[in-house]
Amino acid sequence: MTTAQNVLPRAAGSWRESARAWIRSGGALPFLLLAPSVILMLTVIAYPIVTGFYYSFTDGSLLKFGRFIGLDNYTELLVSRDFHRAVVFSLVFAAANVAGCYLLGLGLALLMNQEVPGRAFFRVALLLPWIVPSIVSIVSWRWMMADDRALFNQIIGFFGGSPIFFLSDEHWATVAVIVIKIWRSFPFMMLSLLAALQGIDRTLYEAAEIDGATRWQAFRHVTMPQIANISIVLGLLMTIWSVNDFDTPWLLTQGGPANATENLVLLAYRYTFGRNDVGLGSATSFVTLIILMGLVVVMLRRQKGADR
Amino acid sequence: MNRAPTAVQRWRRFAVLLVIVLLINFPIILMGLNSLQTTQQLMASRSLWPEMPTLANYFYLSERTNFWRFLTNSMIVSGGATLFGLVAASFAGYALSRYRGRFLTGFSRSLFVVQMFPIILALIPLFILFRNLGLINNPLSVIIVYTVVHLPFATWMARAFFDTIPRELEEAALVDGCSRFGAFIRIVLPLSGPGLAAIAIFSFLFSYNEFFVANVFLKDESTMTLPVGITMFMQQYSTDWGSLMAAATVTVIPTFILFLGIQKYITYGAVSGGVKG
Repeated sequence: MTTAQNVLPRAAGSWRESARAWIRSGGALPFLLLAPSVILMLTVIAYPIVTGFYYSFTDGSLLKFGRFIGLDNYTELLVSRDFHRAVVFSLVFAAANVAGCYLLGLGLALLMNQEVPGRAFFRVALLLPWIVPSIVSIVSWRWMMADDRALFNQIIGFFGGSPIFFLSDEHWATVAVIVIKIWRSFPFMMLSLLAALQGIDRTLYEAAEIDGATRWQAFRHVTMPQIANISIVLGLLMTIWSVNDFDTPWLLTQGGPANATENLVLLAYRYTFGRNDVGLGSATSFVTLIILMGLVVVMLRRQKGADR
Repeated sequence: MNRAPTAVQRWRRFAVLLVIVLLINFPIILMGLNSLQTTQQLMASRSLWPEMPTLANYFYLSERTNFWRFLTNSMIVSGGATLFGLVAASFAGYALSRYRGRFLTGFSRSLFVVQMFPIILALIPLFILFRNLGLINNPLSVIIVYTVVHLPFATWMARAFFDTIPRELEEAALVDGCSRFGAFIRIVLPLSGPGLAAIAIFSFLFSYNEFFVANVFLKDESTMTLPVGITMFMQQYSTDWGSLMAAATVTVIPTFILFLGIQKYITYGAVSGGVKG
């Protein structure tokens, strides 16, 4: 019946009929299945991109629409010291986090890839820092570095050092934020690398052994090339997530002391919700998006180059 | 290096890993221990092990603070986001698993965009939009945003599960006169029960843990979720470490329980979906 309708369409203008036939024949199903997701993504992603882009050229506040002021927000950003510092901190934070997570994650993944009693338990136990809510991990770490008598300072004192004010010293606050971020995100790296290691063909190692390769040579020439691709993808994902991180710096230091741990997201947040400057906040978050896209392009290019 | 390791080697590895696990989880363990001491005890002795364990912090939390309110809000928000996410992700995951075409490729790519999207960029216009719609301090605002933030992960996981279900089952249903959508609802979905459960727990876990979005949209204390509510403790009762530790410890318990339920599925979404595409 449906085929008859399709072969002999009614007169032009009865598009409703043909739409109904399309739905009945099942051709519309993939689009209908995607509809809820597409509508949600249009609301939460597409609409804000367009509106936010417009806001970044205005001087509006959260309470009233602003006037169009051209590129003023962007030029203000480019000469602002806060912005320079935020860009540098975002990049340092991301680089340190990716490097730290990779070393820790790969080391633990190699350890977990061996035969060891209770492996299932260890796998779960090592993932805990990753699944604990951000607020919980920050509360627990804060206690250990809160003041001059906190645990870390007791340990430092035991070895004869003078107390470090982790949260009020600019350099130590930066270190603290990075260490906690590594602690919170290395399990994802470990888990993914472990999956990659387990996917490596065992016969490659047997062949290497027959050729007389040492353990290090087997690692260097069999393991590393096999996990190179996934490493790049993981590095990319982690870079993006680090640049986008709000919780770790905000909950630990609120960007302080003296804005030393303020990344681009915190800066955009402060401009928008602290200074009530929607234009400048939107411009800052657009620059964040552009930096992220730049990083993605550069890293994908390097990956292509490595493949050749 | 393929020779079977001796028992000594295996147990040495076990010991090394055990020490690493204890060191890495030390902040969480310490938090649990600290929650059994009052703030005065904590400030006075600073001992790691509670000498006189007490549940005083927990009673205080339950009777004198908004803790239960925060927990209820968290459940409403996470439950809502899970429900929305489950419908959207299972539909989209099924479409990605069974159909090909330009529209689907485009959709697949936009999931990657969502995955890397700086959420702050969305929050500014959405804050203004939601304020005009009266949705600030309304769980719906957070639920909608969570659904989208978790959509890529949930969709890739759903797709991976649907890929394992043979198409022949649906074709048989079609021959029997079932519509394609009917085949999806009556044949495929019931067979993917464990997969859907894993996706649901994931979405719930993500939403329950989330801080940033909730912090922007839920300003009134009566609407706050647990992570945002706990920051109120930090400000109001700035020196009350005992209650803070107790609140954080109770918060983490549902997370642990849910996580145990899905830990074996994690690689599904994280690696097979998210990384391979």
